[in-house]
Amino acid sequence: MVEFKLPDVGEGMHEGEITRWLVKEGDFVTRDQPVVEVQTDKVNAELTSPATGVVNKMFFAVGDTVEVGATLYVIQPEGEEEKKPAAVPPAAPRQARALATPYVRQMAREMSIDLDDVAGTGPAGRVVESDLIQYAERKKAGPTPDNRPKEQEAKTEAASVKPLLLGESEERIPLKGIRKKIAEHLTKSATIIPHVTHVDELEMDAVKEWRDRIKEYADRKNIKLTFLPFFIKAIVIALKEFPTLNASIDDETNEIVLKHYYHIGIATDTEDGLIVPVIKHADQKTILELAAEISQLSFLAREGKLTLDQISGGTFTISNVGPIGGLQATPIINHPEVAILALHKMEPRMVVRNWEGVIRLMMNMSLSFDHRLIDGVTAVRFTNRIKELLENPNLLFAELR
Amino acid sequence: MMVYSENQRKSFDETTISADMYQVLSEQGDLLSSLDGKIDDSLMLHMYEKMLLVRLFDRKSVNLQRQGRMGTYAPFEGQEASQVGSALALSPGDWMFPTYRDHAAAIVHGQDLYRIFLYWMGHVEGSICPEGKRIMPPCVPIATQMVHAVGTAWASKRKGEKTASIAYFGDGATSEGDFHEALNFAGVFKTPTIFFCQNNGYAISVPFEKQSASKTIAQRAAAYDIPGIRVDGNDIFAVYLMVKEAVERGLRGEGPTLIEAITFRYGAHTTADDPKKYRDQETLSQEWREKRDPLARLQKLLQKRGIWNEKLEEQWLAQMNEQIDLHLEKAERYPKADPVGMFEHVYAEMPWNIREQQEECRSFFKKDVKIS
Repeated sequence: MVEFKLPDVGEGMHEGEITRWLVKEGDFVTRDQPVVEVQTDKVNAELTSPATGVVNKMFFAVGDTVEVGATLYVIQPEGEEEKKPAAVPPAAPRQARALATPYVRQMAREMSIDLDDVAGTGPAGRVVESDLIQYAERKKAGPTPDNRPKEQEAKTEAASVKPLLLGESEERIPLKGIRKKIAEHLTKSATIIPHVTHVDELEMDAVKEWRDRIKEYADRKNIKLTFLPFFIKAIVIALKEFPTLNASIDDETNEIVLKHYYHIGIATDTEDGLIVPVIKHADQKTILELAAEISQLSFLAREGKLTLDQISGGTFTISNVGPIGGLQATPIINHPEVAILALHKMEPRMVVRNWEGVIRLMMNMSLSFDHRLIDGVTAVRFTNRIKELLENPNLLFAELR
Repeated sequence: MMVYSENQRKSFDETTISADMYQVLSEQGDLLSSLDGKIDDSLMLHMYEKMLLVRLFDRKSVNLQRQGRMGTYAPFEGQEASQVGSALALSPGDWMFPTYRDHAAAIVHGQDLYRIFLYWMGHVEGSICPEGKRIMPPCVPIATQMVHAVGTAWASKRKGEKTASIAYFGDGATSEGDFHEALNFAGVFKTPTIFFCQNNGYAISVPFEKQSASKTIAQRAAAYDIPGIRVDGNDIFAVYLMVKEAVERGLRGEGPTLIEAITFRYGAHTTADDPKKYRDQETLSQEWREKRDPLARLQKLLQKRGIWNEKLEEQWLAQMNEQIDLHLEKAERYPKADPVGMFEHVYAEMPWNIREQQEECRSFFKKDVKIS
């Protein structure tokens, strides 16, 4: 029997996440054949088999986080007969030592709890923080045989009791992959930047009329023309006039970086989560060019084929949640940018013009900005300018390059 | 020195730097010029055989690292022609200063495979080279070996020995001070040093154009008045012929040569690096493999000359795999590496301060630190 233990493939890593099994239990593998793919904080590595033989047992599933040194799978090498006694499961790794993160181990030591006595409810039977707390509470309640179940019993008991805990059922999904990246990034943005959100509405009739007039022309060129390119144009013009909105703060050097390039990120919803493809040099592109690029980028985003270059380097982000619905929002800025504009649902609304109630096509927009750099008045002037340009597309036309 | 006036003055934009590179064997496996008997059929086969061996060795090493049987490893697949070609151009007694990625060169110059396995398993014995060979331990600090290579070449010259020194380094090393110091010194003393740069385009993650405004690395030789040659680093003939000429020049007393071999590593910087984070790894790697692979190119020529067939290759592969396995077994039979060994070969005789450090290190490990 050859046990394959997770090696430290990334220079000083402690754990890795199983991202893919390339074989199944019972499969025959040859020496140096890739068996499992592991993602660490440094590399994504295919781990190859040290021997030729049959993969007898795999101890972890895709998505499990495994500590360095834990046995991932066992191979019955070719030519080595399975001995009878070995048929009894050869010391499964989690029996050798309970699985837990260093944090939980530390906690267990402080609470004087032996991890091997605790039934783990985490992935692959891993002992998690709540298991320790529950264990300690049960222990406090008194050492009756009932509330000191052995590990295996506790597991089956937990499984059968769970559905009866009405109203308190929960599911634990490991935070990983893109979702984890999003979580980390948003935490960083929200922690560093003092956010303020300012909301305004704009009248879309004029720009809609304009769009409808050139839509056929765009169709002929096979370009899907939405309102977004008009917004991008108006935003870029406004950004040039209010340079602090197209900037970032370099915390290390204590400098404000005003950017003279206009890379506009478009928050895009994909199956895996939110991705922000970036339109580079948006100020130098025509409305139709922008429309074509938006279609292409959102297609690539949904196919998961964007390159790193296509999702980085943005200077300002637009979050177009309008098609889904909603009145207003407090979007979180895409750090190190300093502002983000959310566009909401466009709908006919009753508004007052010349002291009369009329119906107009209205849309709300919410601008979150970094209050360290941008004063409230500047932010309002910025959205006022966008509003002015879009409500009077002739002005927009005059400013186009 | 002459003077020139305004109307003879060249404009600032006028430049004479060329980015062209020397090639002998085209990507399609055709000879672009006659070899004049400098490379015969048996040498061609030998070149191919060596490239095949080191490629297998390299792949095996990555696998061993991925199985936890070896520490971090720096793969060189893609750079075989540069390393094998340059090493074959040397005489057995020439000094070699490899980096951590130049095992192919070291193997061709006479290093045993098991020593290289040992090196990456953490054994100091991995740095020992066979008796009579002058292969220095792989240099991990960047560019420091270049000045050493100038030193040994200068010493050889003063002793009247007919030996040259070759320093291997990457494009990243050319931004270090040691690179310039070495070139300057070698130029002044006309030492028989070959500065062999494998420009694989990336200093770990930094592409060359972000590293330097120089168009080429070879052009920097001009500043020290030594020849700077740019060759196709995936063309083993071009590399071999240029290095050979540089060695002969050096031994004639004409001084050092800087050779820039343009190549590409297919894989990561090391097994602890993920190239997808800084370049379009799949596309780039595939493009180089398909268009410029050093082995495929030579294989085409060998096939055209009727001296290669698949059966021969299979035979070689079987022999080589067996050879690699034997060396691996030998390396894995070594007792586990002892960390205090790292103090042992700093000086011929250990001074008191190093001994003190060794003792301190030993008592640290004696405490049997348990890492949970």
